[in-house]
Amino acid sequence: MASPSESDRKIITRFLHKTLHAVVASRVPRLHHAAAGPASPKNDRWFHLALDDHPSPIDHHGAVMDPLVFDILLTRRGCSDVIVERWTVRCVPPAPWSAASPHHPHDGSFLRRTYKKCTILLRSIYTLLRLLPVHRIFRLLCSSSQPYNYDLCHKVLSFAAPFSRAQEAELKQYSFAPVETMLGHLVVSVQYRPSLTNFNLEVSLPTPPLIITDYVGSPAADPMRPFPSSLPDRMSHPIMFQYPPRGIRTLAAPSFDRPHSWNSASMVHHPLSSAPGPPDSELGLSLPGHYGHLVPNQRSSMERKGSSGFDESKLSPPCWTSPSPSPPTRVGNSQQSRLHSGTAPVSIPMPATENNQMHRSPNFSDPFKSLFPPPSPRSTRTDLFFRESPLKSRSFIKHEGFSPGDIHSNLHMYPAYKAIKDGRDDSGRFSALSSGGSPGYGFSSSSRQSIQDDLDDEDFSYPFAFDDVDTSDSQTRSLDGKETPENAGSHKSREAAVGILVQMLKTAAPLRHDQSCSMRSLEPNGEASISSSMMSRKTCDALEELQSYKEMKNLLLSKSGAKLQDSVKQRKESSKTLILN
Amino acid sequence: MNCETCQLKELVVEPPEIREVLRSILHTILFHRALGLVRPKDVECELFDIIYVQCEDHELEKKIDEKINQFIGWVEKHPNRKSQVCISFYEVKNKHATWFGNKIERFYWEQWYINLHIVSPKPHGKSHNTKAHVVTGENAFEESNSRCAALGSSLREVLLQIINFVNEKKDHIPPLQNSEIVSFPYEISTPSSSDSSFGWHADVLKRMLQTGHPSMLS
Repeated sequence: MASPSESDRKIITRFLHKTLHAVVASRVPRLHHAAAGPASPKNDRWFHLALDDHPSPIDHHGAVMDPLVFDILLTRRGCSDVIVERWTVRCVPPAPWSAASPHHPHDGSFLRRTYKKCTILLRSIYTLLRLLPVHRIFRLLCSSSQPYNYDLCHKVLSFAAPFSRAQEAELKQYSFAPVETMLGHLVVSVQYRPSLTNFNLEVSLPTPPLIITDYVGSPAADPMRPFPSSLPDRMSHPIMFQYPPRGIRTLAAPSFDRPHSWNSASMVHHPLSSAPGPPDSELGLSLPGHYGHLVPNQRSSMERKGSSGFDESKLSPPCWTSPSPSPPTRVGNSQQSRLHSGTAPVSIPMPATENNQMHRSPNFSDPFKSLFPPPSPRSTRTDLFFRESPLKSRSFIKHEGFSPGDIHSNLHMYPAYKAIKDGRDDSGRFSALSSGGSPGYGFSSSSRQSIQDDLDDEDFSYPFAFDDVDTSDSQTRSLDGKETPENAGSHKSREAAVGILVQMLKTAAPLRHDQSCSMRSLEPNGEASISSSMMSRKTCDALEELQSYKEMKNLLLSKSGAKLQDSVKQRKESSKTLILN
Repeated sequence: MNCETCQLKELVVEPPEIREVLRSILHTILFHRALGLVRPKDVECELFDIIYVQCEDHELEKKIDEKINQFIGWVEKHPNRKSQVCISFYEVKNKHATWFGNKIERFYWEQWYINLHIVSPKPHGKSHNTKAHVVTGENAFEESNSRCAALGSSLREVLLQIINFVNEKKDHIPPLQNSEIVSFPYEISTPSSSDSSFGWHADVLKRMLQTGHPSMLS
């Protein structure tokens, strides 16, 4: 039979264990969820308080007389841990100078009283745990499936550094009445924060990488690629419109009114933007593993729902994975087609060697190009000259120059070329350039030869290069084949510029147009596809051109009136001489 | 043996709140006196942001609910009054055989007095003006919320008061006599309908004076 002191020691040890068990079970969500269920009968006996068993034993390895300190820490993302509660359990031996310790009978009654008092004390601890402010946070973390930007964890220590004065000022203390034991007084106290409103505790809304499954590439990059509204029914993929989405593929329910990728406003819907995504229950991929129990459940559900989608999201950049409705040619090889068709409209067309070359953007280097509006030909020329291969740049340059005979009619922005080159029809010439920035975009196969011819044309001049006066002057000289006086040349260039401007303004198509109507006519009429693609390009290009014209105008005006007067005088003289002759 | 008495802080409650308040207090007291094998169950108050603990015992819950229903019935007949609910723990001592039967003696070693001031909810001010009526309604709603929050805070104080009392007074608790969940016999006293205009205080005093011969009022 154990001696009373040993029994007392055992009671104290078990009390420490049970107290720690009760505190941790009420404060640490991770352990709360991992609890295996009802406690074992062996644990039930102690203090007649049946607590759920914990998966891992929580033992106090220190001596009985060593204090037991367990800190409840509030961990927040990006912030340091904060102790929100500190429970201290210790057995305080009687002071040696105190009166002789009362004689405790060895009949076991004292032990029974000690045990009873410990039982009551444990119930008080259990009740107080539910009344302290931290318990509310614990309940939120346990009950809600939403991710929070904070968590609770614990530390078990035999000795803890005392709080600083500042910390103590923020804490309140509650001490339970000590329980007398043979070894000393069993004292339990808690220091806690009375208010947790200072901490920015909130539900965290992670912004995981979202995949736009209904991504619609720029029609400028692929004029043959219709908008979803224009697709036949067989093109629709039911899987794309499932909601809740598989994995995190869909940013939102596919909407046919989503702005197009070449619209800068569509950046809002970019997967890398902070736009809200699917419900949090569906988002599991980006949850940090730090948030314990919340992650596994969601991840498993995500995996159950659609691993393929999840894998796809892993493999592909966000804007590339877009199994949106697409023409039949892309269905079979969706991945590759996405790579090809979902990329930037600003691209340098390769010298077409395949029939479907026109349908693909040859520029695979920058997938995000598709999200930006196609640049104006001038800027495109500058950008791509340094980026692309010489052949591509050359081809691009030549496309800028376009093949007059093969470019369709809607390219009204390039009347200069028309005026300069020959009397060919404008409509065909400019269609390519308004197709979304890719000069070679939308050229029919029949135009390839003419394009190649243009590549060799050294006399090509950029219609928008009016800021480059020298270039335009040289081009004018070369075109005219005459050596005119400088003033006359400049005068003619200015006149030409004005004329071009006027012509462009006259022939410019309205900015608004029904793109869906234009795109519906893509398949049956390739020419219409080119014209519609040119129309889509017109808006932003028109604005840029307007800017350039304004600059041109200012430049012209800034070149003092004297020059104009001189030129006018010379003109008069020349006209006089002509009349005389 | 001394009878430890604890007068809990008075709570101002409206009739719809009586059940929640009494449940939380009674279960908290009994949880501390249920020294048998207990599986604690957390119960979240519907009206207040408080979680209290009760023993997972169906019989105990049923008995408490019955007493609460009795009290609510009494309140309906006696509105806007201060009242008490008393829970007493006693020991059954000697059984003296008498001519009329066995006399059971009860020695109360602990009594808890739950003091409640029942108030009727304030009616909304009548106004023919729509805007004024809306404003009045909003004010009443805010007042109700603040009052409810204050009551929740007071209830929390009462529960802490119970914890303090339970921990400070342990020596008067008698030894365990059975292995039931609630280790000690107890009774819950509520005002009865037959009480005089003085309430049932007279009966309580009478009972307290009759040490060892208490009798259940209801």
